[in-house]
Amino acid sequence: MAEKIYNWLDERLGLEAIYGTVLDRKVPKVNWWFTLGSASLFLAGMQAVTGIFLTMYYVPSPDKAYDSIQYIMNDVAFGWLIRGIHHWGASLMVVIVFLHMLRTFFYGAYKYPREITWLTGTFLLLFTLGMGFTGYLLPWNQRSFWATMVGTEIAGTVPLMGDFILKVLRGGTDLSAVTLARFFSAHIWILPAGIVSMISVHMYLIIRLGISNIPSEEE
Amino acid sequence: MNEEFKSKYHEKYAAAKQKGVKFWPDIIYKDLIVSFALFLLLIGLAAFVGIAQEPKADPNDANYIPRPEWYFLFLFEALKFVPGQIEWVGTALIPGIAILVLILLPFIDKNPYRNWKKRKVGVSMMSLVVVGIVGLTVRAVVTTPEQEEVSLAGSIAEQVIQGQDLYSIYCAECHQPDGEGGEVAGVEGLEGVILKPINSQDEMWTRTDETLFNIVDLGQQDLGMPPYGLGYGGELQRSEIEAVVAFMRYTWDERAEIPEEAIIGIPGLAEGEVPSYEVHISAVAKRYCVSCHRPDKENNEYLMQTYEEMLTTGDNADKNVVAGDLENYIIVTLHRESIFDTNGDEIIGPMPPSKEIKAEYIDMFERWVLAGMPETADEAAALSEPAAGEAAPEAEATPEP
Repeated sequence: MAEKIYNWLDERLGLEAIYGTVLDRKVPKVNWWFTLGSASLFLAGMQAVTGIFLTMYYVPSPDKAYDSIQYIMNDVAFGWLIRGIHHWGASLMVVIVFLHMLRTFFYGAYKYPREITWLTGTFLLLFTLGMGFTGYLLPWNQRSFWATMVGTEIAGTVPLMGDFILKVLRGGTDLSAVTLARFFSAHIWILPAGIVSMISVHMYLIIRLGISNIPSEEE
Repeated sequence: MNEEFKSKYHEKYAAAKQKGVKFWPDIIYKDLIVSFALFLLLIGLAAFVGIAQEPKADPNDANYIPRPEWYFLFLFEALKFVPGQIEWVGTALIPGIAILVLILLPFIDKNPYRNWKKRKVGVSMMSLVVVGIVGLTVRAVVTTPEQEEVSLAGSIAEQVIQGQDLYSIYCAECHQPDGEGGEVAGVEGLEGVILKPINSQDEMWTRTDETLFNIVDLGQQDLGMPPYGLGYGGELQRSEIEAVVAFMRYTWDERAEIPEEAIIGIPGLAEGEVPSYEVHISAVAKRYCVSCHRPDKENNEYLMQTYEEMLTTGDNADKNVVAGDLENYIIVTLHRESIFDTNGDEIIGPMPPSKEIKAEYIDMFERWVLAGMPETADEAAALSEPAAGEAAPEAEATPEP
C-alpha cells in the first residue's frame, strides 16, 4: 500500500529525481567547518519560526510595544522561551554566518565556479546584520531606542545623501512611531523576502556545483 | 582565470568527489549534530541566561548611554579613532569600501590558487581585519561605562508601591496624602490655593491612564501645577510617572482591584508595644512629612528621609527629637502648636501644615520618643513590655548607635 502511494506521488512529483539530485550524490570528504552553512540555515529557520510566533502578540506601536513584550515574557505560555530563543538566536546567527564566511574565504571556496554563491552569501551576511539592526529597536526599551537613535544618526553622516538616508530610516527627522512601524515592516517583510530569495539561489548553486573541496597544496 | 586552470579545477574536483562521501547520510548527519547542538545551546541560553530587563524607552532621557548590539560595537569603537571633521570617512567611506570589496571579492582576487599557502597576501589581510574586529569589540566592551541601574517596576504591585513613594514625595505636598485636596499650606507660590480632590469617582472614571500621565508629565500650568516629566523640566522618568499613575488608579479607582501584595498600610501598635523607626515611624514620615522634609524645600533644613537625618539635621537639630521629652518640636507641632523664638516670632507652625494627622500616629511618635527612638524592629521589641499586667519598666533612652 505504502509503495503504491509512493509510486503514485513519484509519478507526479518526481521524488526519485529529487532524491537523486539532492541527497544521493557524491561530494568531497570535508571537515566539521563545512557544517556552518547548514547551521546558518537552521538558525534562520529557528528565527523565522520563533519570529512568527512573536508577531502573534507583539504590537508595533510606541505605546504598546514594550507592554506586549512584557506580556509575552510573563503571561504567554512559553513566551519567555520563544523570545529567549529569538533573542539569542540573533546573536548566534551573526556569529555562525560570519564564521561561515571566514571558512569560505580561507578555503578559497569563493573562486571559480562559485563566484555567485559568494555574492549571494555576502548579501545574506548583510541582511543578517540588517535583521539585527531592525530587530533591536522592536522591544522599544531604553537600550533599543538609544542604540537606534545613534545608529540612524551615523547613517545620516554619509556625504550628500546622509540627510535623505536618515529620513528614510526614521520616516521623518525624529525617531518616532513611524520609525518603529517601518523597522517592524523591514524586519518581518522586506529583509526576510530578501533573505528567502538569496537563500534559494545560494542553495540551488550549492546543489548544482557541489560543496567545495579542501584545497590541496598544489591547488 | 584561463581555460587551462578551469579544466584543471574540474579534474581535481571530480577526483575529490570520486574519493568523497555521500551527501546523504555522511554530510547530513554532521549537519544535524551541529544544528542540534546549537538548538540545545539556544534553549540553555533562553532558560538559564535569559534576557536582561530594560526600562521602557524614554525619548527625554538623554543621559542614557547608547549601546548598540554587540556585533556593531567594533564600528562604534572604530569611529572614536576618526576625527570629527572627517567623520564621514569612518561612517561611510571605509565601511562602504569594505562592504564593496567583500561582495566583489571573487572578481577582485584574480589569484587562481585556493590553498592558503599560495594566497598569503589575501589571507593575511583578512586575518588582520578579523583580529581588528575582535580587538575593537573587546576594547568597546571594556571601555563602555556601566549603565546606572534603574529601578524596574515589573509587576503592578511593584509599580503601585513605587508610585506610592513617589506620590508622597512629589504630590502629597499639595494634593494631600490621599489625594483629598483642600487648602495648600506651606508650599511656595501656591499658599492658600484650594485644590479639588483628585481621588474622587468623578476624577477616576473620567480620566484615563493616558490623561493622568499627561497631567503629571506636562503639568497644568494655568492651574499652578508644574510639569514633572523629565522632558519638560521636571524630575520624573516616564516609568516613574507610570508608577504614580498606577498608584492613583489602583488606590482610588474602585473599579481597579489592587493586588494584595501592593497594600502597604502603616502598621498599628499593640498596647505597650514600642514602635521602631524601621517599621512604623518611617512609614508615617514617608506619607506625611517627606514631601517637604527633603532637600531643596523650605523646612528649616530639617530632613526626614532616613533615621540619621531625622535625628541629626535641621536648624533646631538639638530640639526636634529628644529622647524621653514630649516637649520636643516634633511632638509639639504634631499637636498643632507653633514654636516661637525668644522674640515671640513663630519659627515653626503646626505640622503637617494643612491638616492634623491621626491621633494614633501622634501616639506612635510619642511612644517612640519616650522609648529613646529605637531604629530597628529588634531594638524596639527589646524595649517593649513583655506582656500586659507586668510592671512597666521605666523607658530608658538607648545610647545613640
